[in-house]
Amino acid sequence: MNVFYLMVSAALFALGAYGVLARRSAILVFMSVELMLNAANLALIVFAKAWGSLFAQGAAVLLIALAAAEVAVGLALVVAIYRTRETTLVDDLSELKG
Amino acid sequence: MNLVHLFLGALLLVTGFLAVRLKNAVHAALALAANFILMGVVYMLLEARFLGWIQIIVYAGAIMVLFVFVIMLLYAKEAEPGVDPLPGLRPAAAGIAALGFLALLYAFSGFKAPITEEAAQAALSGGSAEVMGPVLWQTWLYAVLLVAALLLVATVAAVAILRPGEGGKR
Amino acid sequence: MLILAILLPLAGFLILGLFGKRFKEPLPGILASGLVLASFVLVVLMLLSGGAKFVLGDWLPGIPFALLLDHLSGYMALVVTGIGFLIHVYAIGYMEKDPGYSRFFAYFNLFIAMMLILVFADSYPVMFIGWEGVGLASFLLIGFWYTDWKNAKSARKAFITNRIGDLGFLLGMALLYSLFGTLQISELRATVEESLVLPTGLALAGFLLFVGAVGKSAQLPLMVWLPDAMAGPTPVSALIHAATMVTAGVYLLARSSFLYANLPDVSYWIALIGLLTALYGALSAFGQWDIKRIVAYSTISQLGYMFLAAGVGAYWVALFHVMTHAFYKALLFLASGSVIHALGGEQDVRKMGGLKKYLPKTHLHGLIGALSLAGFPLFAGFWSKDAILAATLSYPFGGIGFYLVGLFTAFLTAAYAMRWYVLVFLGEYRGKGHPHEAPPVMTIPNDVLAFGAAFAGFLALPKPLWNLIEPFLAPALAHLEAHEPEPLVEWGLLLLSAAVALSGLYLGYLFFKDYFKKKVPAWYRAFEEAALEGFYADRIYNTFIVNPLKELAAFLGLADRGLDAGYVLAAGGVGILGRILAGLQTGYVRFYAALILAFAAIFVLWGVVR
Repeated sequence: MNVFYLMVSAALFALGAYGVLARRSAILVFMSVELMLNAANLALIVFAKAWGSLFAQGAAVLLIALAAAEVAVGLALVVAIYRTRETTLVDDLSELKG
Repeated sequence: MNLVHLFLGALLLVTGFLAVRLKNAVHAALALAANFILMGVVYMLLEARFLGWIQIIVYAGAIMVLFVFVIMLLYAKEAEPGVDPLPGLRPAAAGIAALGFLALLYAFSGFKAPITEEAAQAALSGGSAEVMGPVLWQTWLYAVLLVAALLLVATVAAVAILRPGEGGKR
Repeated sequence: MLILAILLPLAGFLILGLFGKRFKEPLPGILASGLVLASFVLVVLMLLSGGAKFVLGDWLPGIPFALLLDHLSGYMALVVTGIGFLIHVYAIGYMEKDPGYSRFFAYFNLFIAMMLILVFADSYPVMFIGWEGVGLASFLLIGFWYTDWKNAKSARKAFITNRIGDLGFLLGMALLYSLFGTLQISELRATVEESLVLPTGLALAGFLLFVGAVGKSAQLPLMVWLPDAMAGPTPVSALIHAATMVTAGVYLLARSSFLYANLPDVSYWIALIGLLTALYGALSAFGQWDIKRIVAYSTISQLGYMFLAAGVGAYWVALFHVMTHAFYKALLFLASGSVIHALGGEQDVRKMGGLKKYLPKTHLHGLIGALSLAGFPLFAGFWSKDAILAATLSYPFGGIGFYLVGLFTAFLTAAYAMRWYVLVFLGEYRGKGHPHEAPPVMTIPNDVLAFGAAFAGFLALPKPLWNLIEPFLAPALAHLEAHEPEPLVEWGLLLLSAAVALSGLYLGYLFFKDYFKKKVPAWYRAFEEAALEGFYADRIYNTFIVNPLKELAAFLGLADRGLDAGYVLAAGGVGILGRILAGLQTGYVRFYAALILAFAAIFVLWGVVR
């Protein structure tokens, strides 16, 4: 069972990675990032169970709280960019190049 | 390995796939919310009941509401208008994701639990709020305080970034 | 309290240096002057309470950061802070409306702080801090109007010339340390006076310290920087290049008198160098047309007198002359400054003349200063110069030759002092524009200085009259037995030097009275031309030292450029690589994310497969 969920976690992580690269809207990219984060969290919980460690579960709680903070700032940035540029496509923000 | 786990895993994968593939942003967000709720159920099955509820309340509840709210605020029409300036990136992304998946699969495949299932269940006692309390407020106390401060700062930052009257249309 | 006397002006430097631009115009000047006055009061209080000591642990291994206020350093500190305060006040008026007003006073306070460190130092390394610090302040102030390339060059010349002397100082310190294992002056003094070890090594160390003094006090052959130092504002010339910093060399000799009292050979060289410098400065002063350069060469000459006194062993006489010279030379410079101020920046004496009518107060100051410099009887300069001349006969390292040349130089001194006075103040006004008298903030300090230039000499009169300075300084100086001449002989010599000064003044007056109308003899013209360039010292140095070094530098520069070219070529390769890598910088965040994820996957794969 453990290995099964680890594989699910790996698959979700890969899906999230694909989403980050394939999606063009900043919000959808952001959602894909959340998916990756959840996949990592799932792996952490599986390991917590395998080792019988409440310590690791505590760390997972903290991770969720951090994700909440990240989403708050990230979405604020998206809205701010939309206000000034009228777009949420990450490809439109490509002036900074060599 | 019973059918419940198999079924849950399959549903996780399907909702995850929909979340990264659906064209309509609201649909994608709903798929992701479903994914998060399922994830919470999985947590509960994995001896982490407290965490499961947290996952449902914070992720599926608060965070996804934020996402949906912002989507409704910004996307009057379609989410990704125009053509992709990097057309080659989509197949490359699939390749990279597959590569990453293989690497993780290879790393995870040999994993063996160091203690027996029974010992782990005894140690975790279901991951209820009763046992998580001492962990969070004793072992992780300073980390909890730091994260609390960070959340406050993030809230203030979000308000400051979107302060009205500044950063008008350029 | 001792450290406070140094910290006050230093604090002024920091405050004015950091926030000076925010202060309104007279405030920085008032603040700076007030702090120097406070230091002066502190020094007086400490002297009255019988001296002070300050030791701050070990600064270098075995060398404590020790400061000492005894009679010698107290005397010198009084001159520094007292005259320094008057010149600060004068500068409030002189620097008016200058864009660098607060910067000027910041540097001025820095100078006072460094000079006090130099004076109070009880060990040579601590003295060296102040020694270099005043050099820095001098450099900054000579090049104060740094936008003019000429001023910046003069500042560099002063700094570089001083380096030669400083090298001597450093080597002397090193040698003393290796001989005695300590550099604390009081300990060294006790050791040297107890037993004279290694006279050769000691003589070399003394000579090297003397080289340091030569650099700082602009003695032959390192005198070339002082005339050019007049590029700075006039208060700078008065404070640093006349009254205080340049006398640091004399102070060093007096501080180290316990060494030189045991080194007749080195002392002979000191006296000889001093005498030659006095003669050189006096002769060169005749050729100068810049009002400040005349006074500058006279400063070189007067410093030569001080070295002569220190060389023959009359250390207190040298310090006596330091004090009187500080008064009348500061007065002469400040009077020159008032003249320059009145004429709107004109410094050429050929375009002056007749200013007696326009600037009555400044005329009086200039007259008193010139008479004191010339050694007019009863003025301060008369008593101290006569004390020097008498010392060349009575002190053990002296001799009749020193006396005769010194007397001749005194005659020249009187003549060029008269030349300065006549060309500036008498005759017809040869310039354009309307001169206007300086404001009171400039004339009042000059009044005080004029009082000192006239009467400071009465502090030390020949026997059998009173002498306050010699017994005051005696405990801090080495004692050398002088064979006192008969009072009758001494007063006869006094009369002789008075006669010499008076005849110099009279002949100078006759000769320069209507200099621009009469036909000047050809030999004098030739002499004047040579003197104008300081007898070609600069040209000689350029030919034999500066230019060969420049050639060497150019040659080395050529080799360096070849090396550089190689590096540039190598750098070009890096540039091409950079351009290729810059192509990766597409600007698309997703592209970067793809690179990150791809390499993360590859690394994980590599990690787990390995």
